[in-house]
Amino acid sequence: MSSTATAPTRPLVGLLLRTKLRGIANRVYHTVDEAPVRLSAAAILVGLVWFGLYQLFSSLFGQINNTPLEATVALPLVFNFFFLAMLIMLTMSNAIIAYSALFNRAEAVYLLTAPLTPRDVVTLKYLETLALSSWSFVLLGLPLMLAMADQAGEPVFYVLFIAFFLAFIPIPGALGLILAWLTARYVPRKAVRWAVTGCVVIGLSLILVAVRSMQFGHSGAELWLRDFFRRMSFVESVFLPNNWVAQGIDHALYGQLYESLMYLLVTFANGLFLSWLAVMIVAARFDRAFDRASAGGASGRRAAAPASGGLAGMAFWYLTTPLRLVAAKDLRTFLRDPLQWSQLAILFGLLALYLTNMPTLRLEFGQTNWFLAIPFLNLCAVSLILATFTCRFVFPLVSLEGQKLWLMGVLPMERGRILLAKFAFSMTVTTVVAVAAMVLAAIMLKLALVWTCIHLVITISICFGLCGFAVGLGARMPSFNQPNAARIANGVGGTVNLLASVALVAATLGGVGVATYHSTLSPLRSLPDTSTLLLCGAAASLSVTSGLLALRYGARHFARAEI
Amino acid sequence: MTHEIDDCGILLASVRKSYGDKVAVEDLSLEVRRGELFAFLGPNGAGKTTTIKLIVGLLQPDHGVVQVCGHRIGSNGLAAKAQLAYVPDQPFIYEKLTGREFLYFVAEMYGMSRVRRDDILDRLVALLDIGEFMDRLTERYSHGMKQRVVLAAALLHEPSVLVIDEPMVGLDPRTVRAVKDIFVEQTRRGGTVFMSTHTLDIAEAVADRIGIINRGRLVAVGELHELKQRAQRQHSLEEVFLQLTETGANE
Repeated sequence: MSSTATAPTRPLVGLLLRTKLRGIANRVYHTVDEAPVRLSAAAILVGLVWFGLYQLFSSLFGQINNTPLEATVALPLVFNFFFLAMLIMLTMSNAIIAYSALFNRAEAVYLLTAPLTPRDVVTLKYLETLALSSWSFVLLGLPLMLAMADQAGEPVFYVLFIAFFLAFIPIPGALGLILAWLTARYVPRKAVRWAVTGCVVIGLSLILVAVRSMQFGHSGAELWLRDFFRRMSFVESVFLPNNWVAQGIDHALYGQLYESLMYLLVTFANGLFLSWLAVMIVAARFDRAFDRASAGGASGRRAAAPASGGLAGMAFWYLTTPLRLVAAKDLRTFLRDPLQWSQLAILFGLLALYLTNMPTLRLEFGQTNWFLAIPFLNLCAVSLILATFTCRFVFPLVSLEGQKLWLMGVLPMERGRILLAKFAFSMTVTTVVAVAAMVLAAIMLKLALVWTCIHLVITISICFGLCGFAVGLGARMPSFNQPNAARIANGVGGTVNLLASVALVAATLGGVGVATYHSTLSPLRSLPDTSTLLLCGAAASLSVTSGLLALRYGARHFARAEI
Repeated sequence: MTHEIDDCGILLASVRKSYGDKVAVEDLSLEVRRGELFAFLGPNGAGKTTTIKLIVGLLQPDHGVVQVCGHRIGSNGLAAKAQLAYVPDQPFIYEKLTGREFLYFVAEMYGMSRVRRDDILDRLVALLDIGEFMDRLTERYSHGMKQRVVLAAALLHEPSVLVIDEPMVGLDPRTVRAVKDIFVEQTRRGGTVFMSTHTLDIAEAVADRIGIINRGRLVAVGELHELKQRAQRQHSLEEVFLQLTETGANE
């Protein structure tokens, strides 16, 4: 017997993409059929946030346009920085998702045993990675570009600016793909943990050095600003893609359409070329990289920690033994996955660097009303970072139990208590980190004790609300069949949680913002009055109550869920 | 490379594969001929799955040669893959496709015409009794239902070589019987079946030859009566297996 099947002579990427699209269509069809309210709510929330962002950016650009000098000087640099930051973040995000998609998933194993060329497989996974890692960037970036096009005033700019955005995305995608392949091919599995740790430490050190080198000296604001622009001129290198986009936008805003088009074509051509190059390089050497990633040699052997002892035992001392065991298991799982904790370390490391550099701004808090505004902005920054953290890391916790519910589901414990353990785990981690950040900020800014206490109460209440949302909505909208945490966070449920979390932070900080503004009108350094305290108390209560309701909502569904 | 096989079978010559410091397969030489049903046995962690992954091209040997139907895996892997089908112990299936959509996808990947696809599919649907749930999303299938659809997908392009890891896990007795018949039919028509299993009864019942691997080395290979003679046990494959793999267990 001999099979009549032959090695394919044509690329099968089209077939693979059609199959993927068929899967997406099926998913949408079934969600519309089975949970139309959920889908509609998600679509409406996304629309609202999208519109809100558009309005925000529009008013911001309107303000900048009213101060032409600042706009002239600052805008190109701001865009350069924005797209440089996007380049770095998207490259890392693409690398992580591409590694998982190419070297760590059952689908890759299946496709590699099918009569497909490595180029087919790599192309498919590249496009999938690009879509997965960039969709939120597109969703949040489009209002920015449209708001800018408003300022330009010509309809053609709407198309042009969106085209810039889309032409830019393949560049970090291609770099991420190469990075994922290099990791699989040349970094032994055992060393990945150390490599990630090293990268985090080196990255944060470099940023520290860079920030230190930009310290506000004794030379005065104008000289410092000039010096700052001179130091930052490296982001305007003609070889950097962020500069092509920034230049293109800048030319468009000045009505120089042809120059702008040239930069668009440069970006587009480089994106396509880099994509082609990355796919060809990775495909040509994919077999060896896959082999190395599969057989990379880590024994994974480690001394067993006591079930509820050690660090976990200390961190969750206030829980009953069964809950402590579940929370301790989650903490160990988190700490043993370098891709998970490294992202948290980068997030809060950057925040710590920013906070420790606050004194270099040399703001004269004693003579202006900034003495409360800057700490309030810090509170906003910490809260939004917390929202990002809970959406990315806490929301998937319940879904990730999907494959293990044979154990969790039959434990002699109410299912709702499993959620309580998840909540305790996330609340402990976020509170420790957030309170540390806020105390650091208060010390750096020499914030009055009473305001420090108010900010700490608000921070803890926001931690409570966000963790409640992430665990509750994670239980209400789980993806039990999805083993990838990033994909769970990027799904419909994750998006709903992100939007709900941002809304919660906005509502809570709205109250605190009003209280802060009210206090800045009072005599300097005076104690907050009763109405200020009541407003802050109401904001904290809102956050805690919302978190409790979300937890209850999730627990009720989770208790009834047929898994 | 010692020699090549022209026929549609499997050849492993002096193959070695290690995971870092741990040697998973050492000096493995084995030939599975056309029309043969070969059962590959061994304790957990003995190197069975590594051997299978080497055969289907998921892993590259550190040393030695792997060939399928005369095509060397690695240098001519695509031609080899067109001739083989692989069913892992935890098979992959697109969860958001129906069984039928998944099977159509597989058929198109192997370049089958619609007529031929429908012809073979009708036969497999009846044989594996999958018609009732073919048009439902696979995410709602039980393990056994998934296993049956995956088997259908593996057999759809009529592979010359079928490599299968733990084929009977999760199947009901009727399907187990059907799968045994499919294996026998596959070999009767000149195909090759390489089956890794812990279910010794099935190996005993259907295998033409049996190989036993222990701690990465092939410790015995032959027909059942040859293994029994070698182990000086005349009763069951279980006893033979236990004796031949005793060394590893005791160490």
